[in-house]
Amino acid sequence: MSNLDQFREVAEAYALGALDAEERAAFEAHLASGCPECEKALAEARWLVSQLAYLAPEAAPSQELKERLLRSVSGEARVVPMAAPKKPAVPFWLWAAVAALVVLAVYSSWQAHDLQKQISGINEQARAEIQKREKLERDLVAFKQEATMRAIVTNPESTRIMLMPSKKDMPTLEAKWHSQLGLVVTGYEVPKLSGNRVLQLWLIPKDRDAKPKPSITFWPEHDGRLAKLIANPPEAMPDVKALAVTEEPAGGSAQPTSTPIWVGAVS
Amino acid sequence: MFLAALTSGDYGRVPPDAALVHRLLQRDVRAFEEIYDRHSRAVYGLVLRILQQAGTAEEVVQDVFLQLWRNAGRYDEQRGPFVPWLLTLARNRALDTLRLKSERQRRREDQTEELPPITTAPEYEKALDEKRRCERVRALMASLTPQQKRAIELAYFEGLSHTEIAAALREPLGTVKSWIRNGLLRLKEGLQATT
Repeated sequence: MSNLDQFREVAEAYALGALDAEERAAFEAHLASGCPECEKALAEARWLVSQLAYLAPEAAPSQELKERLLRSVSGEARVVPMAAPKKPAVPFWLWAAVAALVVLAVYSSWQAHDLQKQISGINEQARAEIQKREKLERDLVAFKQEATMRAIVTNPESTRIMLMPSKKDMPTLEAKWHSQLGLVVTGYEVPKLSGNRVLQLWLIPKDRDAKPKPSITFWPEHDGRLAKLIANPPEAMPDVKALAVTEEPAGGSAQPTSTPIWVGAVS
Repeated sequence: MFLAALTSGDYGRVPPDAALVHRLLQRDVRAFEEIYDRHSRAVYGLVLRILQQAGTAEEVVQDVFLQLWRNAGRYDEQRGPFVPWLLTLARNRALDTLRLKSERQRRREDQTEELPPITTAPEYEKALDEKRRCERVRALMASLTPQQKRAIELAYFEGLSHTEIAAALREPLGTVKSWIRNGLLRLKEGLQATT
């Protein structure tokens, strides 16, 4: 008799529960190894053994048992009904995979969005930093200019030059020129200029044959104030006879194109 | 009648067992009551036969039906008829109670893995009328030798193993094995021959 026959023969005894521990373990190990013949034999043996229940005479349990049971189940029936176990149309692993993909997609999208947000934030921050730095640089330049202007104006070695207007209703401008620090032109209540016109400073050389030297262009503030520094005048102070200011087109001119509005002799 | 309790087909237009079991999933108390009325006499008769004590038998029957109520989803009508499944559940519970009353065993009582495996009815069994099968089983058992019948009953109703039966009957182990095997084979062949 083969091993398979031996196992098939014990299927009924196994279903009956009559096998001793050692035989039972051996049969269960054989089943676990996957034997369709013994599986089938066992299924039929279980059926056969279940038929032995017919040997017991029927008997009526007490009415109290039924009442007790009905009380129990009625109590439990008031809670949420059990979900019927249904075989899912789509296997669980597929749902799990789809769910994982959805989560991954949402996460990636969120991450990309978050990254974009971070990049925008960094760009914004960089722009703000650049603007801040530019403002600081402008402030620094303005501060240096102001400091230089203050130094020129207050320095006793600076030469004071009064620029007198050619028209009565125009204010007088004042210039201070320090041989090393530079030249400052200031004024108050200076009228606004029309269109794109600007003011331009000219240095009139002592040499009669020499032409006026063009210097910077400038314009008054909205409140009429005027304060301009010429850090490096094109001429040395001893060579200059006078300062003049004309009205010129935007960008200035190489030669004066109008009569000077202000003129002041450098003493 | 015991037989009527086992025979769903005898109910005419009443819902089959499987339909009632399905209604248990919806917490249908009336379906539960109907299942109980149909099968409690068979279940109680079997459990009482095993335990021989009415009070304990009723406790087991109560456990069996409560387990059915709470785990109805475990029964799959595609894999076998309901009544053998229910009776196997009842037998297992009764034998557990008979064998082991230790605390450890009691803790296992609510575990769902104790539910019986599904039995697959052979083709020849499906064709056999339930009532006739019962009569046939009893007749076939009566036709066995007293030793075969006694050995099978000790295994089925008292849960004894081959060795324990051999000790109880003071017979050689091999002899007891043969009685049980031959007795069951005769029962199987007899049921086959009935169709």
